Amino acid sequence: MKVLVTVKRVIDYNVKVRVKADGSDVDLNNVKMAMNPFCEIAVEEAIRLKESGTATEVIAVSVGPKACQEQLRTALALGADRAIHIESEAQLESLNVAKLLAKVIEQEQPGVVILGKQAIDTDNNQTGQMLSALTGMAQGTFASKIDIQGDKAVVIREVDGGLQTIELAMPIIATTDLRLNEPRYASLPNIMKAKRKPLEVKTPEELGVSIKAHTKLLSVGAPAERKAGIKVASVAELVDKLKNEAKVI
Amino acid sequence: MSILVIAEHDNDSIKSSTLNTVTAALAIADDVTVLVAGSNCQSAAQSAAKISGVSKVLVADNPAYANQLAENMRGLIVELAEGKSHILAPATTSGKNIMPGVAALLDVGQISEIIKVESADVFERPIYAGNAVAKVQSLDTIKVITVRTTAFEEAGDTGSASIEQVAAVCDAGKSTFIGEAVVVSERPELTAAKIVISGGRGMGNGENFSLLEAVADKLGAAVGASRAAVDAGFVSNDMQVGQTGKIVAPDLYIAVGISGAIQHLAGMKDSKVIVAINKDEEAPIFSIADYGLVADLFEAVPELEASL
Amino acid sequence: MSVYRHPYKEADFVIRHLLAFDDFCRDNALDELNSDFFQVVLTEAEKFAAKYLVEQNRQGDLQPARLIAGKVVETPGFASSYRAFVEQGWSSLSASEQYGGQGLPNILSVACNEIWQSANLAFSLCPLLGQGAITAIERHGSRELKQQYLKKLISGEWTGTMNLTEAGAGSDLAAIKTRAVPEDDHYKIYGQKIFITWGDHQMSDNIIHLVLARLPDAPAGVKGLSLFVVPKYLLDEQGQPGIENDLRCISLEHKLGIHASPTCVMSYGDENGAIGYVIGENNYGLHYMFSMMNHARQGVGVQGLGVSERAYQVALEYAGNRVQGTDKAGNSIRIIEFGDVRRMLMLLKSATEAMRALCYYAGFETDKKNAAADNSELARQSAARIDFLTPIVKGWCTELTQELVSLAMQIHGGAGYIEEAGVAQLVRDARILTIYEGTTGIQALDLVKRKTLLDDGAQAGLLFAEIEQTLTQLEKSPGCEAMYHSLNTALADGRAALNWLQVNPTQSSCVAAYYLQLWGYLTGGWLMAKSQLIASTLLDNESSDSDYLQAKLVTAKFYAEHFLVRTNTCLASIEAGGDTMMSLSEQQFFSHVN
Repeated sequence: MKVLVTVKRVIDYNVKVRVKADGSDVDLNNVKMAMNPFCEIAVEEAIRLKESGTATEVIAVSVGPKACQEQLRTALALGADRAIHIESEAQLESLNVAKLLAKVIEQEQPGVVILGKQAIDTDNNQTGQMLSALTGMAQGTFASKIDIQGDKAVVIREVDGGLQTIELAMPIIATTDLRLNEPRYASLPNIMKAKRKPLEVKTPEELGVSIKAHTKLLSVGAPAERKAGIKVASVAELVDKLKNEAKVI
Repeated sequence: MSILVIAEHDNDSIKSSTLNTVTAALAIADDVTVLVAGSNCQSAAQSAAKISGVSKVLVADNPAYANQLAENMRGLIVELAEGKSHILAPATTSGKNIMPGVAALLDVGQISEIIKVESADVFERPIYAGNAVAKVQSLDTIKVITVRTTAFEEAGDTGSASIEQVAAVCDAGKSTFIGEAVVVSERPELTAAKIVISGGRGMGNGENFSLLEAVADKLGAAVGASRAAVDAGFVSNDMQVGQTGKIVAPDLYIAVGISGAIQHLAGMKDSKVIVAINKDEEAPIFSIADYGLVADLFEAVPELEASL
Repeated sequence: MSVYRHPYKEADFVIRHLLAFDDFCRDNALDELNSDFFQVVLTEAEKFAAKYLVEQNRQGDLQPARLIAGKVVETPGFASSYRAFVEQGWSSLSASEQYGGQGLPNILSVACNEIWQSANLAFSLCPLLGQGAITAIERHGSRELKQQYLKKLISGEWTGTMNLTEAGAGSDLAAIKTRAVPEDDHYKIYGQKIFITWGDHQMSDNIIHLVLARLPDAPAGVKGLSLFVVPKYLLDEQGQPGIENDLRCISLEHKLGIHASPTCVMSYGDENGAIGYVIGENNYGLHYMFSMMNHARQGVGVQGLGVSERAYQVALEYAGNRVQGTDKAGNSIRIIEFGDVRRMLMLLKSATEAMRALCYYAGFETDKKNAAADNSELARQSAARIDFLTPIVKGWCTELTQELVSLAMQIHGGAGYIEEAGVAQLVRDARILTIYEGTTGIQALDLVKRKTLLDDGAQAGLLFAEIEQTLTQLEKSPGCEAMYHSLNTALADGRAALNWLQVNPTQSSCVAAYYLQLWGYLTGGWLMAKSQLIASTLLDNESSDSDYLQAKLVTAKFYAEHFLVRTNTCLASIEAGGDTMMSLSEQQFFSHVN
């Protein structure tokens, strides 16, 4: 069984984003980029499926500009067997990405597809679910456990207020939540080996997917700044303010 | 314009997230229909009919919808989408699970977690964990949207909508509900709580979180934690508030022993009132707190509990 | 304390542009290597440091290694971090592929070491000393020793130590008393060694001690020392650690800093004699040690860089958050807005960048030497350059580090003097750097006597000529006026200093320290000047990282204005000579109390 895992190149977790002066977008020029944290969890899960003997091959896929290959190399260094880069300089919306991935699924026929539940840049939380709808594969989103049992999979999902267990008919699409696993780091020998692993580049045209815009970004602004409040001298004063001024307790 | 709102419910009653979503819908247009899809969910439908501003309630009552599995729900919603200008659901784990698939089947985009309705096709939504706000225009004929519930008030309960049964049964047969382990707690869920009290590395260890729980019990609050506290192993990471944890925006957020790393602020800075208790007066958390108390938390928190 | 973030743009600028590493790879057919690949490796190194080393740095300070029932027990958590370090292949980075290493260039090793040392100096010393043991055995050991020890040392499963110092033999190793007595196919070692870094711990399956000792018939002095491999556990027939050797740690030093790094008093042969195996030929021990010295000493210079970078980051974060006072409009002011705090931050930033340029430049020279054919002119040139720069890297960087960590504390005000702020630990940890691996005084003497006067200023002259070339470029470059002026003056100071020393060689030991400092500011300034020229050129490209490059221009200018000008006072002190400092009688030093 093949496992397909997606990785997205996003702004590094530690970088504080800045909005461009003209309000057109956030400024991503020359900022540090990294693999989306939820994708790191997805890659880890895929590798564990291979290590446990459930999967035979792990294929990492990324959609985006050429620089995405850095993140694909990281996935290869972590243990993916090969990579597919769907090259597109344009910022693609989730539906377009899902359509491209659906084509790759058609070609590769994986038993399990694992995606991060969302990317920390656009915070959309859409692609996995869209991919499920487009391919007709069952979906297990926000997974904290994925257990493949032959022709079915038991997925434990993080839902508001607790955990939900569902059983899915294979093949499946899963999206990762924080508790699914703790991702490993690439070892130095594996970083070296990753350079020699195959990385195939495809274009949307080659996959026969036409890219269509569904939204238009009008502007990006900084969130309303909170005014720094006041310091209270005692617990009594705090309680008084909360009761009588803020009226929240 | 005609809007369909997907209700979140437990078959007996409507969840409050639905009320926030109806408010968002009404900010777009007046014609709001609510879909209650479930199993033996008539009583939930009854309460949906009482939501102020709702003109019609559609009820799809079938075992296929008992647990609102995404594959079945999206099939149903797509069948009901004809003639609708907007389809809205709360951006809860349920809404997030279902709606992108609806959008994909309709071949439209989804606009996630809107916090403001500018016009019928222009919305504001947070990106980069709330560190920026995007104004987005939808170019699709049907707009599929999820709503950040904390950004909209709850609709009232003075309505009297008509109730209409839907016969359509969509059972994709792909997934089966096995069970649910709802965290048994007197306290509300983090993301739905009106008051949240969170602890950081300053708590010192996991046992000390009982100090916060005592306050939470008095206030009916949920208990959260910073990433530092989770990483230090004090508490499990389902309690993590922050960029990669849960995003909360309660009426009152009390940060105890939390320095205020960017990651944490991103997850709670939309709270209406923020209180910070920290012994380090330079802690960045104070720069966004409405009320800051520079104090040793091990004295201040028990005192707070006693005075409530 | 702030999170540690790897200065990846700096590392990339220096390696890609200042050192032109990609050209080097192309010229030497290193097909798989380039600057992009280095960035990937360094990113992973940063992640490792953030997860395993940064948090434990403070913990190690508070919970030092302890000696319990004859065994050294390291700081809790260090063992698992060390295991992860080994598992992820970091210990084998630049070691030979023949024995399981990665065979990567020294410059990458230097850049990674900077990360480990910024994150946790005490921890980083353990693998660093292992590198020394590996080099000694690989270069000089018999085939058998290599087969027995190299693979496990390179993989990091076993660690290595260096046993030179004795109570009566510090800077003067001729006084070493530890004895080695031949017996069958091995030797029995008897004696006591002090200041043995990571001399015992429980993190690895075996510890391989390299011990300098004297054979019974050996000549007196440094020419009579031999180097021995003395394993903590003797190897059994399968080559696995078997019975315990007759050696032990008898006490741990209580130190100012690097608390987590156990500094051991090691005792060999208390019972029947510790079994050891000679490396290479008898009586060549010190010679072999010297062959590793450049590497070790440059390594300490990089430690200074690592600690300085961390100090800068900590101070920067504090200065950006600390609010003091209000402006006329009533807005509160963060101290980063104050002129004097800016001055201190700029000193930290510019000096750290100059140190990085120099450390990487010197480290890269080793790669150039390795790439050149043995005994070729190129190899000789690189070797001479390495020899010359090593005492400067060690002496100047680590002395400057003292100034920088002190500034970082100063920026914190009173809070910095309190341990919780974290900067105090950096001040304490950094203090060892000017002392171990040869004090600054030793470095300065090495630079004046062996590296300058011995070749009649030839290598110094070559560097002057290269600096001259850079000046020619600077003169034509708009915006580089301040740098041109300072570098020009500093070069003249350097030449004058060399001239004075050649005329007054007998006074060189009195002024050697100033001479070393002068060279540090000058070479640091030269590389900052080159960086400034490169940054100006890169800025012409529209897609360049203008934020970073503009900052580089300003930082280089600041260095020229505030550090490079210091060559002038160095020269003044050199030209004052040693007469004044030698003219008091010893009695007169007590003139104020007697």
